[in-house]
Amino acid sequence: MNRTGLAAALVAVVLLAIAPLRLNGYLVDLLYTTILSVALAYGWNIISGYAGYFSFGQIGFFGIGAYATGLLVADAHWYWMVGALAGGLIACALAFPLGYVMLRLRGPFFAMGMFGMAQMLRVLTTAIPATGAGSGLFLPPGSSITEVYYWTLAICIGAIGLTIWIDRSAFGLRLQALREDEQVAGTLGVDVTRAKISAFALSALIPGLLGGGYALFLTYIEPDAAFSSRLDLQSIVMAILGGVGTVWGPLVGGVVMTQISEALWARFPQAYLMIFGGLLVALLIVLPRGIVPAIADRLAAGRRS
Amino acid sequence: MTIALQLAINGILLGGVLALSALGFNIIFGVMRVVNLAHGDFVVLAAVFGAYAFAQFGINPLLLLPLTIGAGFVAGALIHRFLLRRLPGEVASAEASSLTLTFGLSYFLAGAGIATFGGRFVSVPYLTGAFQLGAIEIPQARLLAFVVATLLSLLFAYVLRSTVVGRAIRATSQNLDGALACGVDVDRVRTLGFAIGTAVATAAGTLMSFLFNLNAQQGVLFTVNAFAVVVIGGLGNYTGAVLGALILGLTESFASYFLGATLAEAAPYLLFILVLLFAPAGLLGRRAR
Repeated sequence: MNRTGLAAALVAVVLLAIAPLRLNGYLVDLLYTTILSVALAYGWNIISGYAGYFSFGQIGFFGIGAYATGLLVADAHWYWMVGALAGGLIACALAFPLGYVMLRLRGPFFAMGMFGMAQMLRVLTTAIPATGAGSGLFLPPGSSITEVYYWTLAICIGAIGLTIWIDRSAFGLRLQALREDEQVAGTLGVDVTRAKISAFALSALIPGLLGGGYALFLTYIEPDAAFSSRLDLQSIVMAILGGVGTVWGPLVGGVVMTQISEALWARFPQAYLMIFGGLLVALLIVLPRGIVPAIADRLAAGRRS
Repeated sequence: MTIALQLAINGILLGGVLALSALGFNIIFGVMRVVNLAHGDFVVLAAVFGAYAFAQFGINPLLLLPLTIGAGFVAGALIHRFLLRRLPGEVASAEASSLTLTFGLSYFLAGAGIATFGGRFVSVPYLTGAFQLGAIEIPQARLLAFVVATLLSLLFAYVLRSTVVGRAIRATSQNLDGALACGVDVDRVRTLGFAIGTAVATAAGTLMSFLFNLNAQQGVLFTVNAFAVVVIGGLGNYTGAVLGALILGLTESFASYFLGATLAEAAPYLLFILVLLFAPAGLLGRRAR
């Protein structure tokens, strides 16, 4: 990042940091959900964008984080941020054995397998009494949205930082190599299994950490909220809209998407899903690689001529 | 013993309809290597439409079959022509982008269904009686759905086996380059395959409305069912799909009796993940993946 970019990033962070002190409740909520989805999109982008393993089940780790935090706060009376941290680490730890098994699958099999995993977790939480089963889990009141906001903002910035590092590191190159051709990457000496499991674990850590904040934000969690397929879809669409496997794609896609989504939700609550799905289809046809690569191409073309 | 027999009969009758639905899913994967995530939404839309037509106009859903089959055929052809075919053809991203496209399509169809028919769960209260065989009950509607689904599956098998179109479809699925070399118009075959697959899905949906209470958002259940069936039987293997459907139907029937409806919801997921991991080519599949 050059100096102007760094300055702009700093200004943005400062503005986001003082935002909850200045804005009204509705706008803070909106900002929180935006940052949450952008952070989720960054999490998804590591395994699905850089490593090329499309997953429709990362929300499972989010749900694990939410429920772990909920239980630790409600039953063990932990301070919620410690609980959320634990939730993230649990999700990340689970990702290693799960990744070892699931990452043998490829393409649509991996995508659907992960979807099945997340759905199984959702069904299990509705059946286990400890998690409040289908009726949900209440968290003790008293937590503030401001704390959740800063927690989520910090994770989002961390996720962007992690992505910048991945994009420049040898690890990132290994991921991109195995995305293009796993066999060739393997013959060239990339430890393919290790690289993709590491990417998978990072892609689980981020939603895992975010889930705890979301549980506090809702003050009440139930399986359909913690394993929300709408949140999952939204973050995937954001990453695709912005540009899969790019550093700034999830952010650009996230900001554009939230604006559209908010306008749609307010004006057409009935047709929201329909327009959302239609938009995704249209985007894939018009901008198959996303906004960021399209702009980069345009800029490169301008420089050449 | 009676209970086991009863559950087995329910499972087999359900399996027959699941098999029809899965055949549609399978043909689309066969000709295009596309996992159609909107499959279940076509099933459910046809089911909800059938229930709506029955409630509003008293139309016998069996008479609706030609209409839903026709509508599914046209919709499938249009979706392939104007959407899937426009996707960029780069090998690395083609699979992912077709998956994402049908994912978006699925939400579009579910949303459109909710906007048109509302969110109420509906079914067709048609032939609600049952045949008594000793202590065993055979629900008439289920039996009818099973019989019609089996007839349609046999028709499907005939088209695939013994017609020129069917041969072209099978050739495209088995060996793309070979099919091209023999002068098969692969592009047209794909449109046709997608259209037939969608038509089979809507036909299955019309029959599903006899069996289930549904609203337009339940599509994902049927996508997962079809995916599970096809994975169990081996992708692209039509005999395997029928076997897989029977296994899944029996599993669901027994699981919902012994574990309750909530936990039984996890059965198809568990089944297909296990098969993917331990028999990745499916129970009858040969091709390595």
